[in-house]
This record gives sequence, structure tokens and C-alpha cells, in this order.
Amino acid sequence: MSLVADLRAVLGDEDVLEEPVELHLFSKDASLIRGRPACVVFPENTDEVAEVVRIAEQHGVPIVARGAGTGLSAGASPTQGGIVLVTTALQEIEIDPPNRSAWVGAGVINLDLSKQAAPYGLHFAPDPSSQSACTIGGNVANNSGGPHCLAEGSTTSHVLGMEVVLAGGEIVVLGGDAPDPPGLDIKGVIVGSEGTLGIVTRALVRLLPIEPDVRTLLMDFPSVEAAARTVSDVIAAGLVPAALELMDRRMVEAVENWLQAGLPTGAAAVLLAEVLGETEGVVSQAELIADVARANGATGIEIAANKEHRALLWLGRKSAFGAIAQLAPDYYLHDAVVPRTRLVETMAAIYEIADRYDLTMLNVFHAGDGNLHPLIAFDSSDPVVDERVHRAGEEIVAFCLDAGGALSGEHGVGLEKRDLMRASFTELDLDAQARLKEAFDPAGVFNPTKILPEGSRCFDYGGIRRELPDGVWV
Amino acid sequence: MGLTSHPRHIAWLEVEIESAPDTGLGIAPHTIKDVVAILRHATERGLAVQVWGGGTHSGYGNPRDPDLIMSMEHFDEVERWEPDDLTIVVGAGAGIADVESRLVERSQSLVMSERPGRGTIGGAIAAGVSPLRRGRLYGIRERVLEVTMVTGDGRLIRSGGRVVKNVTGYDLHRLAVGAFGSLGVITSVCLKLWPTPPAAATVTLDDPGQAADITRPLALLDVNGVTRLYLWGTDREVDGQVARLKGESAPGHDWPADPTGAWGWSLRVPPSQTSEAVARLPDGWRHVAVHGVGEIRAGSESPDGAGELREWAESLGGRLVMTRGAPDRFDPWGSPPPALDLQRRLIAQFDPQRVINPGRLAGGL
Repeated sequence: MSLVADLRAVLGDEDVLEEPVELHLFSKDASLIRGRPACVVFPENTDEVAEVVRIAEQHGVPIVARGAGTGLSAGASPTQGGIVLVTTALQEIEIDPPNRSAWVGAGVINLDLSKQAAPYGLHFAPDPSSQSACTIGGNVANNSGGPHCLAEGSTTSHVLGMEVVLAGGEIVVLGGDAPDPPGLDIKGVIVGSEGTLGIVTRALVRLLPIEPDVRTLLMDFPSVEAAARTVSDVIAAGLVPAALELMDRRMVEAVENWLQAGLPTGAAAVLLAEVLGETEGVVSQAELIADVARANGATGIEIAANKEHRALLWLGRKSAFGAIAQLAPDYYLHDAVVPRTRLVETMAAIYEIADRYDLTMLNVFHAGDGNLHPLIAFDSSDPVVDERVHRAGEEIVAFCLDAGGALSGEHGVGLEKRDLMRASFTELDLDAQARLKEAFDPAGVFNPTKILPEGSRCFDYGGIRRELPDGVWV
Repeated sequence: MGLTSHPRHIAWLEVEIESAPDTGLGIAPHTIKDVVAILRHATERGLAVQVWGGGTHSGYGNPRDPDLIMSMEHFDEVERWEPDDLTIVVGAGAGIADVESRLVERSQSLVMSERPGRGTIGGAIAAGVSPLRRGRLYGIRERVLEVTMVTGDGRLIRSGGRVVKNVTGYDLHRLAVGAFGSLGVITSVCLKLWPTPPAAATVTLDDPGQAADITRPLALLDVNGVTRLYLWGTDREVDGQVARLKGESAPGHDWPADPTGAWGWSLRVPPSQTSEAVARLPDGWRHVAVHGVGEIRAGSESPDGAGELREWAESLGGRLVMTRGAPDRFDPWGSPPPALDLQRRLIAQFDPQRVINPGRLAGGL
């Protein structure tokens, strides 16, 4: 039987799409790279996912798992054809307040989980800007971050267990509420693996208690450098706020023009800081942050007066990418990370690169953990501009790596950044990663060609005879 | 008991690796090249190598008698401490206590074991042993930003990076946490440090319920039946919390040592079962239980009652792990972990001859 016929025999006709317009809808994620799937499937439970995996293996076609398609690195773009497996029908939420955890279907939207947990005084810490659309499955696949990951860590710190379909359609439950399951931490390496090792159908996630009090500070600065220095100084003073976000003037203007969130449009840069905890604690922490900001020349310091005000400020921050649509049809952004001590010089370099390529650059990013989001607004239909955008992006990444940074802080490598992996890792490092992939997925069914550049496993190590590369790491 | 329980063997057997005989030898390499050479040699000859840090986690698992003990004592250097970035790059053989004593000058901490003894950073990571503060500050795997290691077949690899947030590539560095060296010998790591706020207090309570008012304490412990609440923050914050609580308070943090006894245990249950787990400990077992986490450390003079306790823990999805004792009298790990075949395939990619700590990991891997 044909691929589609085999899939329909298991999933039913309505859960397998193959019309051209339907295939087009699922041909890319939120990146700029498009593929073309053979079909799109919507399994309704883990057993159906396992069946799809077996059918894909029989037909020798790849599977690209996809949640809401908000990914920015083409991790969910089906560039090798095959099956796009959409997880949105996996909708279970089972909250366990005494253990402060929840089993959550891969298709559950991030914000819906926190909304459902709120009556129990709990929430899910990772909060990507796309949290009102992105799914838990996508968060797990990308080890997603968000502003509040500064103090609480990215998704990986909040996944206690998972149900996953491995190669051969084997269904395995890993981890659980009890800490430190013995053996290799397989779930830990599946988090962030972008659907290349298996398909997570349910995750057991940690829920944190909602803190009793909060202070959200909005601070404006006469220069981006002053704001960046404030970030470095706050961390150096021994305070790790819940969130510490920076927006530059252009970004603030774009957001204000759209939403009127009350962000100061006159400032060169705006810092949004938040501290959570008991009242006595947040009051003193907010004072410390304000003191550091003033010492760095902050021209205005405002503390959100109430819940609505706080929500509006965060809406402004989290809507930043949406606001770009006013400026240009496309945007291209990297999410490299630099040590927090290198923020000031890195920001200066980023603006210099954008100016040199004559590009419209906006910045809004997780300054507290050094995770940059330099964003170039442009029209990708102009091939000349397109070329300049990509060259500028590569220069920015190169600068960040030279500064001791990392290629991606939270968006993932996907297809978009995989060829830059060679700038981060040695041949042996990439070979080790390729071996990991091989152990999980010997047939290469799960999201092939993502994360690792071609040829990562190309050389035969030759047992134990190969010499160490000269001078490295020794 | 074999060679494994005698760390002093290492000191007097330390020799240049070029002249190393095949068996019964302790080696303390000075460079990564030496580690590579030792492991290639071991892989060629099928030798079992036990990696030695401070010896504090040497009781875990059921290892094969080693042909070689490789001490990481010379990998003890702080390569790079970036206090303003809250990161440190440090050799795996560095003592936790030694490094903490340096970090104190900038009020920073590794957030590893509170009473590490001779324990090393590499040892704690390989054994996956978390601090008692894990309910607030997370476990040891969340501290590990980058790992440099030499695989069982002698390849030098690095995973992760020297920044606090990173999703570049597969998290092999996190897979190394709790792997007991089954992928490779860790030579150095980059860790995420955490600032220590100015005020600290320990409050003794009648029962853990009295702490319900404190949203996220640093730790809430049951130490042999005594409930201790650990608070930290600004002066105002800690003073305010202490005033609200009924209980005797003392400034600073008095952390309990791991329970003593010929047999050591780590009982792991869902957090809501912590008190029940304590109630089920056999008579005479000393314990430190971490409320909100479900980890109970215990010590006893015999394994009597451990079988029943394990059965109960495993029925809840938990575990009773023997951390010290006689593996020929009691199975150290209990039921094998899931996806054992996958674990075997993974290990085969890194340590194909199974030379590093063979048999040590759960499932006899």
C-alpha cells in the first residue's frame, strides 16, 4: 500500500492530509526555510504516534514532529519530505498539586498549562515569548527558554519525566516524580534534541509555586551600553533577578506604535527587570537594581504600580517580534549567547556590523543571561538584501563565539544554524554528537539533516589509533 | 574488599604511564594526553579502569574489580573563575571544599554537596549527587554548563559551552551527569555559580507543616526526626521570616552530614511521599530527608528491612539505591532502568570495550 493509505488505515482519513494547500500550510515553521512534506498526520494518542513511526520506517521516509510551528531555526521544516507529525491532538493535562508536577500532552499550549495550574498556586516556569501559541512538545524539543529562565533555568530544568516513542515505534516512559532515576539520563538528552532522537508524546513537568510578591522595574537609559553595563553590574553584585530584559530604541518604538504598552520611546535603551519572592525580599532587591541603574546613568526608573501595569509591560516585551511586521515583511534573527561580562562590547559590535551592511537592526533580548536576539527587519524577496542579511548574521555569530559565547541560547540549531556548528565544535565533538544520534536513530527516521552539519560522522575513527589534534584542549 | 576501598594505593603506585604494567596499578595522570593514552591502552587490552576523585562515592554500584585505578588528583586547577559572570572552569579533580573556600570571598557558591569532605567536583558530577538545597536551587545537572571528557576509547570531546544558557547541539554534558564515567572520564567542567545572599538562618520546627508559609525555602530537612528550615536572603527578608515562624532560630546554616553506618542508602520517592518514606525506614536507620524533593539519605548497620522498603519505593516509581555496603549481599540499584538496550548502544559509542567503571551503572552496565 502507499504511505498515505497505510497511515489512513491506522489514523483514519481525516487525520492524514495530502492536499497541496494543506501540505503548503505545514511546509515550514516560523523560520525562512520551506520544505515539502508527503503528508501531514495528526495522531491522537501515543500508540498512534508509534504506528506512524513504524510505517515511516517501513516506507523509508523521515518524520518531522511539529507542535505549533513557532520554531525559528527550521527545526520543524520538512526539507527532506516525508511525514509531518503534528502533536496538537495530544491535549492531556493532569496536574498533581502535592508533587508539584503535571503530565502534559505534547500538543498543550505553554500558557494553557500555567493557566490550568494557577488555581493550585502553581505555574510552569519556561515562558518563551510565543507562549500563547507554542506547545510543550516544542518547548521540550527545543529546550525553550524565555525571560524567566534567568533564575529558574530553561525547559530542561523542568522536565521530570517523559513518554517518548523511539526508533522501531518503541514506547518508553523515562523519569518520574521521584528524583535521580538511576542509569543514563536519557530524557535529559532528548530535551533539546529537536525531534531528532524520538517523539515525545507526554512530558512530566515541574510546576513552581507562584511567588507571593513581585516588583517589575522599567528603567530607561541614554545609551545601550549603559543598559548593558547595568545588567553586568546587577549580576556582579550577586543578584540574579527573575528576569532582566533589554530593548533598544527602535524596538521600543515599534512596540509602542503598535500596542501603547507605556514603554518610554525617547530612551536609547530600556531595561525590564523583575524580582519575585516575599515582600521584604523583593523590596530590597528592587532597591538594589534601581541603585545600580542610577549609578549607570538611568534617566527614569518606574516600578509597575499594579498587576495590570505589570501585565502591560510584559505584553510589550513579548509582542516585540510581532511588532516587526510594521517595518518589513520578514525578519532574521540569531540568538547567540555571550558571557554577561562581554555584553557592552558585543552590543557595540552588533550595531557596527548592521550599519556596515546598511540593515535595519532592532534588539530585544534576555540580557540577564547574555542571550542576544539581534533582529534584522528586511524583505527577503530582494536577493541582494537577503545576501547582506545572512552575511551580517554570520559576522554577528562569529563575534559572539570569539567573545567566548555560544551559537544558540534557546531557539535551537535546526537547519538554519547547523553549518555554524563547526565554528563551535571540533571534528571529534561533532562525531561524538553524531554517534549519539546514531545510537538513538540508526535508520535516520527522526528529523534527518537537522542540528548536525553533513559529514559529522564522516570519518572512521579507526578504533584507537587516531592521534589527538595538535594542541587542542590539552 | 578489593583495591577499591584503599585510596592509599594510588599514592605509592603512581608512576609514569609509559612504564605502566598491565594490572594492579594506580595511576595519577598529569595531562589530558596521559588520560587519552591510558584509556587507549585500557581499550586495547580490555582493562577495567576505576576513576578516583575523593573516594566519597566509591560505594555505589557493583563494579568489576579494577585492573587500574586512575586518580584525577592532578586535574585540580581552577582554570578560569569569572565572578562577574557567575561561571567557573575547573578541573574535575578539584575538591569541592577547596573551590568553595575560594568562592566565598565573592559570596558565591558551586551549590554542590554542603558537606563534601574529600569529594571532588568530577566525582559529584559522575555520581550525580545533588546538594540538599536542590528544592530551591535545582540539582547538580543544572550547574553543569560544559564538560570536557575523554571517552572510554580515548577520544577527547567537549559538550556545552561557557555561558549560562545554551542549546547548541546535543547535551552530552548533561548525559555525563550521573553516568559514573560510562561515557568517559571528565577532565574539566564549566559550572554555573550562584550568589550567596547576605543573611542566613536555620529554624528548628516541630513539624514540616509549620513551614507551609514560606513559599520557597532554601531547604526543609528532616534530620533524624528534627525538622530544620533553612532560610536565606536579605537581612530584612530573613528577619521577617524568622519572626513569622514558631521555632528556635540560629543565624547561619548548619548542614547535616550524611548519615553514618556500614550501609548507606539513597531513597528516592515522589516529593509528596517524603514523610511516609521516613516513617517506613527500618528501626535504627539514621536519616536526612529533603522535603519537597523526595530524597532521603540514610545509614544503617545492616540491610535488614531494605528489601521491603525498596519494594514500596519502586511501587511508587521510586528507588532505593545502596550507596555503601556489600553488593554481594544486597543488589545496589534494584530493578533495571528503562530503555536498557538504548543505554547499552549509547555506551558502546563511547566506551566500546567498557573499560571505565564497568558494571558500576544501574542495570549492571
